[in-house]
Amino acid sequence: MSDLPLQNSQRSIARRGFWQRMLQQRYLYFMAIPFAIWVFLFSYLPLWGWTMAFQKFRVGQSFFDQKWVGFDNFRMLFQDDQFINAMRNTLAMSLMGLIAGFTVPIIFAVLLNEVRISFLKRFVQTVSYLPHFVSWVVVAGIITKMLSTDNGVVNQLLMNLHLINEPIAFMAKENLFWYVVTSADVWKETGWNAIIYLAAISGIGPELYEAARVDGASRLKQMWHITLPGIRSTIIILLIMSIGHLISIGFEKQFLLGNNLVKDKSEVLDLYALKYGLGMGRYSFGTAINIFNSVVSLILLFVANGIFKRVTKESIM
Amino acid sequence: MSSMKRMTGLGVTLTLAVGLLAGCGGSNDDDKGAQTTETGDTSSADQTKTDDKSPITFSFFAEDANPNWQGMKDQVGQAITEATGVTLNAEFAVGDPSQKVALIATSGDYPDLISAKGDLSKLVDAGAMLDLTDLIDKYAPNIKKLFGDQMKRLRYSNDDQSIYVIPTYSGMDNKSFVAGGGFELQHRAVKEAGYPSIKTLQDYENVIKAYLEKHPTDEAGNKNIGVTLNADDWKMYISVTNPAAETTGKSGDGEYYIDPATNEAHYHFRTEGEKEYFQWLNHMYNTGLLDKETFTQKSDQYLAKIASGRVIGLIDADWDYSDGEKSLKSAGKYDQTYGHYSVMVSDKYKDNRFQSTGFTAGWGVGITKDCKDPIRAIQFLDYLASEQAQVLNNWGIEGKQYNMQDGKRVVPADVQQRIVNDNTAFSKETGIGFYTNIGAHYGDGVKDSTGNYYTKNFPEQIIDSYTDEDKETLKAYNATTWMDLFPNEDQFPIKAWGAAWNIAVPSDDEVNILANKMKDITWKWIPQAVMAKPEEFDAIWDKYQKTLVDAGVEKMEKGFTRYVQDRVKLWNE
Repeated sequence: MSDLPLQNSQRSIARRGFWQRMLQQRYLYFMAIPFAIWVFLFSYLPLWGWTMAFQKFRVGQSFFDQKWVGFDNFRMLFQDDQFINAMRNTLAMSLMGLIAGFTVPIIFAVLLNEVRISFLKRFVQTVSYLPHFVSWVVVAGIITKMLSTDNGVVNQLLMNLHLINEPIAFMAKENLFWYVVTSADVWKETGWNAIIYLAAISGIGPELYEAARVDGASRLKQMWHITLPGIRSTIIILLIMSIGHLISIGFEKQFLLGNNLVKDKSEVLDLYALKYGLGMGRYSFGTAINIFNSVVSLILLFVANGIFKRVTKESIM
Repeated sequence: MSSMKRMTGLGVTLTLAVGLLAGCGGSNDDDKGAQTTETGDTSSADQTKTDDKSPITFSFFAEDANPNWQGMKDQVGQAITEATGVTLNAEFAVGDPSQKVALIATSGDYPDLISAKGDLSKLVDAGAMLDLTDLIDKYAPNIKKLFGDQMKRLRYSNDDQSIYVIPTYSGMDNKSFVAGGGFELQHRAVKEAGYPSIKTLQDYENVIKAYLEKHPTDEAGNKNIGVTLNADDWKMYISVTNPAAETTGKSGDGEYYIDPATNEAHYHFRTEGEKEYFQWLNHMYNTGLLDKETFTQKSDQYLAKIASGRVIGLIDADWDYSDGEKSLKSAGKYDQTYGHYSVMVSDKYKDNRFQSTGFTAGWGVGITKDCKDPIRAIQFLDYLASEQAQVLNNWGIEGKQYNMQDGKRVVPADVQQRIVNDNTAFSKETGIGFYTNIGAHYGDGVKDSTGNYYTKNFPEQIIDSYTDEDKETLKAYNATTWMDLFPNEDQFPIKAWGAAWNIAVPSDDEVNILANKMKDITWKWIPQAVMAKPEEFDAIWDKYQKTLVDAGVEKMEKGFTRYVQDRVKLWNE
């Protein structure tokens, strides 16, 4: 963008400051404008709606006719056992999902990277990420059928192996629900999540591996000392970002796989917000839940970021 | 950290700026609202438009799914479009309809016509609905004729006496001829038991038990299933919780039992006899007669089981399991289809499921304030309430789906054959029945100007729709229709409050929140109680009852009682 010699340009920045530099980089700024507008429209503009949480909001009335109620909605929220329960379930399931959703794809990517036959590697990769494109509705149907006590595959297998004498009602056991959801998630997303690690791995220079081989490092050693450190920054950035999303795990899985027997373990925040907020026309209450979610997410994000900054010197901010 | 501070500052500035913008946006909306009403007024003054039959398309949203809907390209639909010029661009709810209505109410982007069933209050609160009182008065002679003196039941509430919907979910002067609920048993099971009297839970259980003992598996070696229930989402009401009220003589008021003497509402799970019902389910579960998957299966698994013919007994309504039964019929397994029986916890209760509610207004189609032409819309609804349209919707087109022979409407044998055995394709082609819940109509057993019944549900016609196996079983019980096995509506007084399930509670009332809480509690505890070990049942039941009380069930009952008493006043003054 600039034809000036480096020294000269540095001096001019110091002198003429920010606006000069902005003018020089105008094309970059132009390119960024659409995205800035996008972020504004979809991430900042809706924040106005947060005012609803402090009102007794009635649809169709103008902003100035709404009744203000202060923190009533939040008070109601924190006094509700179901909310506390939903909070616990959300955090538990997303933590389990986070742990499984990180380790499994990384291991998978590292192992897949070691496959030497390129056709096989591509084939496995394609097959493994295909489930990502199947909707949760279908996946839930498949899983419920597989775990069924009425001729379900899993139960038949276990029975034939004589591991159990009577079919296990997987979907009826509260304590299994978190595991069912987590494993379903792993099955569906492992291949897809591995793609980004595979991409990062392919960015590691082959000379490092060559040098290691010359030094006599085994394949396992190479994985441990070259591949994993090579994708460390990718892992950390993704980890920090997903910690920020811990609380907003959506509700499709829980909604579709759950039933009344496992409700105490399956109700998550989004489902709670849908049922007791929007579903009942309590827009203010729903917004209060949403605000609370955002605040918790922010705190989690900053905490995670801070820890990683200190420990590994890598961070996103 | 300083960069953080700057960020926050920026955030605040942005929020404020946005506040200004949104403020302006809001007032714009108001202007638009005012304009719409103005145009509405001018067009209502324009009397020349009354006979307008030019093509017009109305958008329409309905809470009930209609998977066979053909966009009015079906034969009946085309006839309606021809008569009125109206085509409906219909959208039907997928998934939870009340959430969809909540979204419509918030978005402010309303369809021209909407059928929101019990969620009407959300739209009314949002100011989305048009008061139809004047429109009906000016442009809807058929509707006026149809409702006659029951018109006062169309009013919304004591405080707001507007008419927001044309009730379309119940037929005027309806007499029950069809028994589609109760307890169901496969014909082969009752036949093998020698057609015993089936009046109590014990009778019902005996038939199933005897059949399973003799035939534990089907031909392919898969296990036969005694009873399975559909507990998937709201079907829970139909198949699991409502039967508890029905088998103890407290049918028809949803989650409540209304004391006819005092008009007081009670959460029905707290009333007498219900514990025995669930204890019986618990017993069925523990003896292996109730499907172990009852509370975990989804609707499609449930239907698949019925379609396999392995399920001996059901406790459900025919419209919920009919998709499974249809497969049995097309496979020719008629002896594995079901008959309906009036089963009570014990003989001290009397089945009141056919007790008359009078005309149950409340659920129906309304016109929104966004409607481009409310007059054409009311005329369309008025046409649907006409004799011509009702016959069209119920019987089809003369010369095609029915013929007039000696002044009587007769369905040709080949058409009847298709209605019974090839229903889906037949419906899609003809559109018969698609418009029932869109237009006001007479109920079963009412005769039109030609002396024929409006609907196809009258004893002679119903018998035609039965299979030979149905008839065989009925004959053994000395009955001609399933209805004959249930106590008739003449044996009960008319309910002054109509039906509790269609009493609308304003969306921000605490009763709603409490009702949702009670639903969550009940739906969690009932499956647990049913699946408990027999000796633990009592303890779990007591805990369930206590949880209800702790969650404020008494407050909810008191709150709802007020609405019941208001309704009694509104409808009977």
